[in-house]
Amino acid sequence: MGKDECKTMLDALNKVTACYRHLVIALGSTSDSQNLREELRKTRRKAQELAAANRTKLTALLKDKTISKDDRAEYERLWVLFSSNMDLLEVDMKRSLEIGQDFPLKLPTRHLIATGMTGSTTTVAARAMSVQNMKYEADSNVDTADLRELRTEITQVSQMMEEMEMKVQVAPWAVEAKQEPGAELKSNMSVGNSSVGVISICEEEPKEDEGGEREAGSGSFCAILIFMVILFVAGVLGYLVVSMS
Amino acid sequence: MTIRTIRPNRGQHYRPRMHCIKKLEAYMVEMQDPKSGLKGTEQKLNVTTIPHVITGQDIIAWLLNKMKVTKEEAEAYGTMLVAYGYIYPLQNHRKLVMCNDGSLYRFQTPYFWPTEKWVAEDCDYAIYLAKRNIRKKGVLEPFEQEHYTHLHTWLNHKWDFIVMQATEQYKAGKDRKKPDRVVLDCQERAYWIVNRPPRRTHSALDYGTDRLIDPTIEEKISFDQHRRMNIFYQQAIMRSKVKSSVSLGALVKFVNTYKSHDPFLAPCLPSNPWVTDNDTYWTLNIRRVDQCTKMRVERWSFSFFELLSDQRGRDDFKSFLKKEFSGENLAFWEAAEELKWGSASAIATKAAVIFKTFLAPGAPRWINIDGRTMGLTVKGLDHPHRYVLDGAQTHVFLLMKKDTFFRYLKSPVYKEMQNRALNPEPHNFSEAQLEQNSRNRSLGVHPITVWQQEEEERAKAAIASAPVDVKAMMSKIDRK
Repeated sequence: MGKDECKTMLDALNKVTACYRHLVIALGSTSDSQNLREELRKTRRKAQELAAANRTKLTALLKDKTISKDDRAEYERLWVLFSSNMDLLEVDMKRSLEIGQDFPLKLPTRHLIATGMTGSTTTVAARAMSVQNMKYEADSNVDTADLRELRTEITQVSQMMEEMEMKVQVAPWAVEAKQEPGAELKSNMSVGNSSVGVISICEEEPKEDEGGEREAGSGSFCAILIFMVILFVAGVLGYLVVSMS
Repeated sequence: MTIRTIRPNRGQHYRPRMHCIKKLEAYMVEMQDPKSGLKGTEQKLNVTTIPHVITGQDIIAWLLNKMKVTKEEAEAYGTMLVAYGYIYPLQNHRKLVMCNDGSLYRFQTPYFWPTEKWVAEDCDYAIYLAKRNIRKKGVLEPFEQEHYTHLHTWLNHKWDFIVMQATEQYKAGKDRKKPDRVVLDCQERAYWIVNRPPRRTHSALDYGTDRLIDPTIEEKISFDQHRRMNIFYQQAIMRSKVKSSVSLGALVKFVNTYKSHDPFLAPCLPSNPWVTDNDTYWTLNIRRVDQCTKMRVERWSFSFFELLSDQRGRDDFKSFLKKEFSGENLAFWEAAEELKWGSASAIATKAAVIFKTFLAPGAPRWINIDGRTMGLTVKGLDHPHRYVLDGAQTHVFLLMKKDTFFRYLKSPVYKEMQNRALNPEPHNFSEAQLEQNSRNRSLGVHPITVWQQEEEERAKAAIASAPVDVKAMMSKIDRK
């Protein structure tokens, strides 16, 4: 049905927007690199494709005058989700343009800020592109070339937003949220049982983190130990069987 | 979703110019120079080590070397860098100051630097709070909880989006390595402490309300405006001016009299309510209080105007005048004030009443003003307007000031007031008590209650000042 398709596409757009924000935060810092710029470009392309697809679908659904009131309310809610995502994406794109211009990678006099982030963002980008591993195929000049494309893409996105507003008459303030406050806690219950536990921030809560870490390590250690014991027992029994026969 | 029409920004989000930002950014980049910049060390957190940590004294030493200023200036500059959000403290993250000791700091990523163009949006803050809610499993700090509930009401139409985005960002963050996750959390928290500061955190981005006009557009002054400006300045040149020695002398005298009463220059006793959230100062200085504070009584002696502007002082003066049987001057002055500040429809009736009570020959409370002023006022009362009694009022004010005021200051009433005045002890609140105070802020007295009290006072004054019925008085004496 149209609604479910819309929802899955919106979820995908949401995921890509979240990953794009993570990537833009790393711009200009010590974890910045040509790879990061390429990841940004790829994520942006994917976001634009998803956005275009979402837009056509939603405008088609909303222009249909024959749908019921409940359906219309639902579509309006999806519309608000879509446009909020696009707002976030547009702001992030504009900011990545500014920061990308301020911190060119090739210039030796322009140093990157030592923020403490040194790891790479490949996992985030892989999540955004829904692939297992990221493949980097661009050459070493991707940052400057990227900026020119970025400008055109930003204008495209702004134009798309304006068109959308003109074509579809939706009052965003009339939409009512389906989630109550604290809904994010329930939705995260299934994901929250990871073994790392609560992350420590700076020096204030190191103890919980320590317990979580040790648990993870000891859990796998115990498993290996049991496996070895079982193998050993199996070996002993086999030897006995062989010696008996 | 923001409403975006063809016209650009409608002028409601103009933020004050922050010219220092470009210069601060230049310094931040210079600090990163591997040769002449700051050297970072590692921070050990149980199992993880996070690089790029600097101590406060290193930063201040680098600033001293680079800018060639005094130590105090370098410390102030360092604090400004922290208050703007370019560097954030790792210990005691709520206090945005740069301490010249071994306390640890880290640089903020350029995405979270303050910019004039991009304002920290409520929607982003809501996403951050939702993420923090997930991380802390529902236990937010009290100021964060307040913001959360407030945003849930105001951004309700976007709440689904906020929850979805928060969960996605949280999951995406989990994919990263451990030290990066810690740094990301620290960075975001520092950014939001600077942009939505909790109570008693002094952030440099706390600038108040937005401007109504764009400060960056160039204003074009038209020909007509130039012409009018010229006329104004020519007339200003031709006015008579006071000699600067005279006016400066008056200013010096004013400052010397009032400097101990100014809450910016001298500590406000018992404590300044805006600072400590304790409103004893206000409750001690209302109208219907029995014992006044020493400062208040002292203030009455500065000038007659001060005495009359403070309602409690005016009441005291009124009781003094009643003993001297010369209350009609003050009553006339008050009636004239009421006429000036009252409603336009009541002017005619009030003027008639005032004429009958105070100005007519043989009136019950006849005031003694000179013939010329009396003539002008009576003539003006044919067509009464708001300021018809101004001349008479000034004359009466001067009479009271030159004569009765000094007698009042030497009178036993005033001296008793001074003796009874209390001197409240200055409060000395600890940090925990200040937190307590800020949570226990009460609404204070309702304006309707204050208005009702004023009405009662006015009714009592009206009864007390009703003209003494001579016949009734005589018959009472006769009966006795």
